[in-house]
Amino acid sequence: MADEALFQFLHSELIQYIYKSGANGETENGKNITKLEAMGFRVGQGLIERFTKETPRFKDELDVMKFICKDFWTCLFKKQIDNLRTNHQGIYVLQDNSFRLLSQLSAGKQYLEHAPKYLAFTCGLVRGGLSDLGLKSVVTAEVAGMPACKFQVMIQKV
Amino acid sequence: MTVHNLYIFDRNGACLHYSEWNRKKQAGISKQEEFKLMYGMLFSIRSFVSKMSPLDMREGFQCFQTSRYKLHFYETPTGLKFIMNTDLSVPNARETLHQIYSTLYVDYIVKNPLCSLGDPLQSDLFSARLDTFIKNLPYFNPRAA
Repeated sequence: MADEALFQFLHSELIQYIYKSGANGETENGKNITKLEAMGFRVGQGLIERFTKETPRFKDELDVMKFICKDFWTCLFKKQIDNLRTNHQGIYVLQDNSFRLLSQLSAGKQYLEHAPKYLAFTCGLVRGGLSDLGLKSVVTAEVAGMPACKFQVMIQKV
Repeated sequence: MTVHNLYIFDRNGACLHYSEWNRKKQAGISKQEEFKLMYGMLFSIRSFVSKMSPLDMREGFQCFQTSRYKLHFYETPTGLKFIMNTDLSVPNARETLHQIYSTLYVDYIVKNPLCSLGDPLQSDLFSARLDTFIKNLPYFNPRAA
């Protein structure tokens, strides 16, 4: 994979660009997040095709989530998800204690209000990956204190 | 053995960051004037050093020392200037200043999309890491001689 710094700079610029071109005040915040997430979705779909070329079929949902937490995250951010929780009814919480894209921003509360922008793309990545593995889902993220963050995945039963 | 203070200037002369650890005597003028004085003095010294050099110059101005303190200077290829005042026992802090640039500035300011380059450095993370880094230097001593 290409150098980490390259992707980080590109990602930051992407967010700046989306916000500048959609600059109609604070009310457009939702639209920008949606655009970023949609981009991540398409990228996630492509990435998952590449990463699962050689892997055997997944046994069940939990197996898919474990793959996302271990192999997918390792390929993207060179580390695994630190904690995976589930209620065994389709809701999974992925916790990353030191999220790569946030670790340079701050180590606590500073810049907290800007954090969601930097997580939208990754939410899309996860959603795209899951969708191509056959699981329709909704992915949201929350940050309590940087650089730790949680991604919540809700699998939709069709 | 101690570090007194640290200034970071950008290529236009604006002071991006200043922190002090062991400064017993203030300059007697406002901070803004002090920054302007520091930058102006360095600009003149560098130009003087390059003009008067009897040989081909390589690095240019690196440090000066008085009977009480030593001032170290490091300029990056992008025009960022790091100035550190230490006491006399520190031989050459150029490597340290280079490390401050490459590990702290690049990682926490350049890679932080919320910090625009050219503005005073506001990232708390940067300040905290810089503080830890300086305090871990082998020649830092919180109680100056």
